[in-house]
Amino acid sequence: MTDTVGIEALNVYCGTASITVPALFAARGLDPARMANLAMTARSVALPCEDPVTHAVNAARPLLAAIGPEAAARIEVLVTSTESGIDYSKSVASYVHEHLGLSPRCRVVEVKQACYAATAALQLGAGYLASGISPDAKVLVIATDVALVDQDAYYTEPAMGTGAAAVLLSTEPHVLTLDPGAFGLHSFQTLDSARPGPTFDIADSDRSLFAYLDCLSNSFRAYTERVEGADFAETFDYLAFHTPFAGMVRAAHRKMTREFAKDRLAAVDDDFAARVAPALVYPAQVGNLCSGSVYLALASLLDNGDVADGARVGLYSYGSGCAAEFFSGVADADSAAAVGRMRIREQLDARVELEFAEYGDLLPANRLCLVPDPDRRVDVDDHRAILDRYGLRRDLLLYTGTKDYGRTYEWATAGEGSNPWPTS
Amino acid sequence: MTVSPDVEPDREKVFHTLVEVITEILPAVPADRVSGHLRLADLGADSVDRVEIVMGVLDRLGLDAPMAAFATVPDLDAMADLLTDLLTRPLADPPREGSKP
Repeated sequence: MTDTVGIEALNVYCGTASITVPALFAARGLDPARMANLAMTARSVALPCEDPVTHAVNAARPLLAAIGPEAAARIEVLVTSTESGIDYSKSVASYVHEHLGLSPRCRVVEVKQACYAATAALQLGAGYLASGISPDAKVLVIATDVALVDQDAYYTEPAMGTGAAAVLLSTEPHVLTLDPGAFGLHSFQTLDSARPGPTFDIADSDRSLFAYLDCLSNSFRAYTERVEGADFAETFDYLAFHTPFAGMVRAAHRKMTREFAKDRLAAVDDDFAARVAPALVYPAQVGNLCSGSVYLALASLLDNGDVADGARVGLYSYGSGCAAEFFSGVADADSAAAVGRMRIREQLDARVELEFAEYGDLLPANRLCLVPDPDRRVDVDDHRAILDRYGLRRDLLLYTGTKDYGRTYEWATAGEGSNPWPTS
Repeated sequence: MTVSPDVEPDREKVFHTLVEVITEILPAVPADRVSGHLRLADLGADSVDRVEIVMGVLDRLGLDAPMAAFATVPDLDAMADLLTDLLTRPLADPPREGSKP
């Protein structure tokens, strides 16, 4: 048994394109007064030549290049977490395993529990590593999803992102050392949001947001029952939450302060700015990444907060349906350096800012991404104009269609800027 | 429907508290526009405003109740009824969604 388990490396892929929230509000005729509570600045947009497999591979590949082939060969478990399944039987993970070139001696599996599933996989993977039954093993969890929203989603459209978060777990946790045994759970059945088919979502916003908040209070309460002396105001230097939209996390922080630190209510805005806002910088520029959202929030705080002297981070993961977990870990200067090497800020800044007309042209084809057609051809060259405008130069796996229900992919080079990972 | 005289004033107080919280969160809404047959969305409350209003009124009334119960109330009258009901229930047994009845 070992107590030192956690996240060794973390990278995200949030697309090559985005649209600003003000541009989307203006074009859709949404009420600009509601932008303040949404607290989002942009949403990432996929191209029709992208899917959950390409997102996952494009998030994980730079991370694997950074650790090198010898360390990558120690990955014994690959888990993809998605609510954007491509088949009832065949997993996203099977294609990801191939295109990442992982060892054939690797467990390959996909998990689903809406926006929570990656955290379930992380905890199960951490337990496997902590058991010590396979010393020096690594577990790769990749949360990957595509958005299906259009004008029918109203105010949810500007809040939905697209992309993936790759989380490498091991007994060398450079990014976040998990606090062993420090977690609290809360789950119950509710139909707050769901994806009943490959082209649409259903959602009841009040049911979902209220369940998110109830689960936050209850999972934190469960955490305090496992962690003696845990205190919402004092225990955590930073908080990184699943972010349906940044304004929701602000409301969640207010609720927690009212319930668990009432004497701090007068200074709630200062506390939010100090402990929560660093984790919202990237989510506000990307949109909801589904089960990758809390790990995008973690990357955001490590890039935008100050953990140099050591910092305990409280994390909250919520998935509709619903399942939730509050857990924690410790970061330090090594964490900031490890995530900094992934150059996530530069990746986000390199996205092509789409005009609304370009954006509107992409949506109908994007909604076909998960439809199980036996044969479909997606021509990468149709999207070359956008790929060429990407602000960094990097290789991307792209989706080229399906043949006899099997998905086809090709590698291509995007952008004309500099390579973000010149040493990898 | 027969209402006992010592319950009806509580319900009125609850509705008054609800109106107070709504007009604090939505300062553009005059108190006399808040009527029981409306939904919060009819008053221009977005999802975060609705969260803040439910949190605010629970806090003001000293209630520790799950928010999930408020996701399905059809209008402000039903919300006031639910709040009144919560206030009159024994505190030792608050309904928690997800727990067995």
